[in-house]
Amino acid sequence: MALSLTTAQRKSASVRSGAPIVRLRNLSKAYEEAGAQRMVLQALDADLYAGDFIVLLGKSGSGKSTLLNLIGGIDVPSSGEIWINGTNLTALNERALTLFRRDHIGFVFQFFNLIPTLTVLENVSLPFELQGKPRRDSERRARALLERVGLAHRADAYPDRLSGGEQQRVAIARALIHEPLLILADEPTGNLDEETGAKILHLLLALTRDEGKTLIMATHNPEVVPLADVVYHIHEGKLVAGPRA
Amino acid sequence: MLMLPSSLRRVMLRAILRRPFQAAMFILGVALGVAMMVAIDIANASATRAFGIFAESLTGRTTHQIVGGPSGVPYELYRQLRLELGVREAAPVVTAYAQALELDGQPLRIFGIDPFAEAPFRGYLNLGAANANADIASMTAFLTQPNTVLMAEQLAAQYGLQEGDTLTMRYGPTRHKLTIAGLLRSSDEVTAQGLQDMLIADISTAQEVLNMLGRLTNIDLIISETPDGEALLARIRSILPPGATVQVAGARASAVGQITAAFNLSLTALSLLALVVGMFLIYNTVTFSVVQRRPIIGILRALGVTRGQIFGMVLWEAALLAAFGVVFGLIAGVLMGRLAVVIVTQTISSLYFTVTVRNVDIPTLSLLKGALIGISAALLAALLPAYEATNTPPSGTLKRSDIERKVRRAVPLASLSGALVVAVSLGALSLPSLEVNFVALFGIVVGFSLFTPLVTLALMSAVRPLGGLLLGVLGLMAPRSIIRSLSRASVAIAALMVAVSVIVGISAMVGSFRNDVQGWLADTIRADILISPPSISAVRQDVPVEPSVADVVSRVQGVVAVGVSRSVDVIRPNDPQPVLLTAIDRDTSMGTRRLVWQIGDYETVWAALGEGAVMVSETFARQRGIPIAAGQHITLLTDRGEHTFPIAAFMVDYSGDQGTVMMRRHIYLQYYDDPYISTIAAWVAPGYAVSDVVNAIRAAFDGQQELLVQSNRDLRERVLVVFDQTFAITTALNLLATVVAFIGILSALASLQLERTREFGAMRANGMTRCQLFRLTLTETSLMGAIAAVMAAPVGTLLAWVLVYIINLRSFGWTLTLSLRPEFYAQATLVALVASLLAGVYPALRIGQIQPACALRLE
Repeated sequence: MALSLTTAQRKSASVRSGAPIVRLRNLSKAYEEAGAQRMVLQALDADLYAGDFIVLLGKSGSGKSTLLNLIGGIDVPSSGEIWINGTNLTALNERALTLFRRDHIGFVFQFFNLIPTLTVLENVSLPFELQGKPRRDSERRARALLERVGLAHRADAYPDRLSGGEQQRVAIARALIHEPLLILADEPTGNLDEETGAKILHLLLALTRDEGKTLIMATHNPEVVPLADVVYHIHEGKLVAGPRA
Repeated sequence: MLMLPSSLRRVMLRAILRRPFQAAMFILGVALGVAMMVAIDIANASATRAFGIFAESLTGRTTHQIVGGPSGVPYELYRQLRLELGVREAAPVVTAYAQALELDGQPLRIFGIDPFAEAPFRGYLNLGAANANADIASMTAFLTQPNTVLMAEQLAAQYGLQEGDTLTMRYGPTRHKLTIAGLLRSSDEVTAQGLQDMLIADISTAQEVLNMLGRLTNIDLIISETPDGEALLARIRSILPPGATVQVAGARASAVGQITAAFNLSLTALSLLALVVGMFLIYNTVTFSVVQRRPIIGILRALGVTRGQIFGMVLWEAALLAAFGVVFGLIAGVLMGRLAVVIVTQTISSLYFTVTVRNVDIPTLSLLKGALIGISAALLAALLPAYEATNTPPSGTLKRSDIERKVRRAVPLASLSGALVVAVSLGALSLPSLEVNFVALFGIVVGFSLFTPLVTLALMSAVRPLGGLLLGVLGLMAPRSIIRSLSRASVAIAALMVAVSVIVGISAMVGSFRNDVQGWLADTIRADILISPPSISAVRQDVPVEPSVADVVSRVQGVVAVGVSRSVDVIRPNDPQPVLLTAIDRDTSMGTRRLVWQIGDYETVWAALGEGAVMVSETFARQRGIPIAAGQHITLLTDRGEHTFPIAAFMVDYSGDQGTVMMRRHIYLQYYDDPYISTIAAWVAPGYAVSDVVNAIRAAFDGQQELLVQSNRDLRERVLVVFDQTFAITTALNLLATVVAFIGILSALASLQLERTREFGAMRANGMTRCQLFRLTLTETSLMGAIAAVMAAPVGTLLAWVLVYIINLRSFGWTLTLSLRPEFYAQATLVALVASLLAGVYPALRIGQIQPACALRLE
């Protein structure tokens, strides 16, 4: 299925205004392998703006997921700084980082990562509940989001009864429920067939655009590129701004 | 951390429900540990309380007691007190245990009193008072008819007895018929408990039954703590015969009650052992549940669940399961407690003093203690895995190899900590506190378990080439896979190692003890036939027997020589505990008695004894702080007054943990006015069969005296039966600890294998047959069992050494020789291998049945 978006949905880089929502400064990340350091990301600098759909392209193992994990605060850089909406993530302690993540980040993973012991509705309402919001409110919001992803009728099912596409739709709803500043998607269609993948991508983009959210997606699917506001390539640990098409 | 959001509560609860096997194992671990602790606590508390209440009820309002040596106090002294000194508040008592034959040989205390002197002392009899606890007709019968007794209504009801019924009481070799004149109602709980194994008799009836004509066990006094009272005490002391003394009431009873402290402590320690093994089981279960849920924990962390919340979630889960475990454990503990009370009181009665427990108390404190320790142990065991869970990185960054790498890095630290714990524990063994010694014993076990990862790594690396040669690729895979999953495998191996080393330790300790007792019996009792009155206690023979019995024995055809002995409790000045004195006229050991220190050769010792020296058992010396060395003395209160006896030798004696002082009979008769004997030893002339002579002796007493006539061999066998009975509870506790460990290892290994379902699925998909998978799983689990067995051999030996040379010596004063027999190790290795093999069967079968595709799909 060919991907297309309405003009309204597609937001031009020209309307960007104000300070960037994500600022990367001299960001590096190395892993230890067999006693030696392997540099995955090297001295990255970038500004990402609110409301944009940003795509990170690169081969497997290039560091896309690592960068996403660093921005999402689920991994820590070896050096450099990450600023999100004026907060320096690298200066936060573990607890503050966790709370930041809870309040401001929404994740969509390649392998869905739903909690198998919670129902679809409970999975979606989880981030909202973790913020200490009343259960009734979170359920109401979760049901509304499930309605939007077309899964209202599966609210009480457990994840293992759902197809891959359905599970990813649940994950998208979960990523949006607490109205995060940033939605980070790591190969969200990588585990789905082409048609389902396209539908999911469409849904994710539509929902984030509707909510006016910033979406950063790591992928090696070049079909996504035309839809993106900004495209970066990760090559040999460096971030290179690339053409959208 | 304490309050979890409802969503996390749901995650926690459903995780429990999804893995009922693990939850059940956790609950079982806590339940068994708590049950054993509560059971032993109930047994100890019931026995102690029964003795305490009994002692208290006997003492009543008595402030002082006049007590004497083996022959008691002359009745004349009581008359003197009343008539010459005008002491009004004095009551004579004649008391001892006798067996009620109609009540299955139940020991009952015959308590002989003067009903008219009793009122100020004890509340059993309120003669003529408005609250009289027996009716007038009964009391009249009791006061006017000989050989009548009063007994508690409860006791009578228990055996379906009523007024007018007759009981046959056996005291030593004689039987007496006593009629129940009336039943006593108890006015309060203490009285009811005190009366429950008592027959109240008139003083003259008791004197006749207990062979105490003209004598009293003690005279009770009520003396005020005033100058007048002090003056009265001084006057009383001035008229006491040399063998009598005034003691503060209750002091002796409480001293007697305390002699079981070491016994109680060792039982408690053993019961805690199950909990320690249970803690390993809990640790295992929680670790596995954390490991299995790491992906979920990772997702939760990514979604913003804090470390504290994860920590709380794991601990709450442990607390919740522990609560279930505690409930089951308390119920099982109460049920097991009833059984344990029987075994514990049997042991106390045969080793220390007669105690009967009719009502098993379920002390709230025992239950609370069990619940608290159960929950705390579970939380403590869950603490480390809970902390580990908080270190789970948010999803996306977790790599299994990272965890194993971390564990590998921690191996030197774990081993170093283990060495430190073992060193500190070994050091703590030199401290004189028995409690500290027990903690150190546990420390040694835990310390060595920290070496498990190191030993596992070393052994598996060493065994790999051999495995490859013997079993091909599977032989190479199995050790490698254990190394690769070191973080989990080593916990399971450690738990099994602990259980198996405890089996080795306790078997070796009990085996060594039994061995020594056997050797001691062979060395000490070399007479062919032993004759004694039936006795309630297994280790004491203090019922008086007429010396003429020995003459009868010596006249039996085939008897070439006869020796007599007398065992009595005597008083050592300034020592609240009684001293067991044995007087012998001929040494049954015939010179082979084991001595730990002596003045010269055995002839010299025997000659010194003939001159008035004594032999003291090493247990006695240790308990009363007498150095085992030259130049020691012991002072005893004799019927001639205080006398100091030189100690010629210290002997090995396993007849009881309170120890014995031994003297020659002619010396005993010089110092004590007690012509009776307790046991007779007979030697059979060559050419006569021992069994024929035994029968001839039995025939000589038939219908006249009830005596137990046993051949040397029968006696030795009987002693070993008593020994085994005494250690029955140890064996039972050891067995239960093994069961806990067995379940632990089963659950640990099963979880470890089940966790690798996906990996096995991949192997099956790549062509591994079910049979190969089965073999691989069993090879892995038996390798783990083998590592545990290899480690358990030295650790178990060290435990045995500590138990024999430190704990046992400090608890009871016995010097034992550690004898290590191959069967202890064989048995332990068998347990380890069978446990690990069995543990492998279930997962191997289950995984074998799963379709590879299904296994691969599993989360």
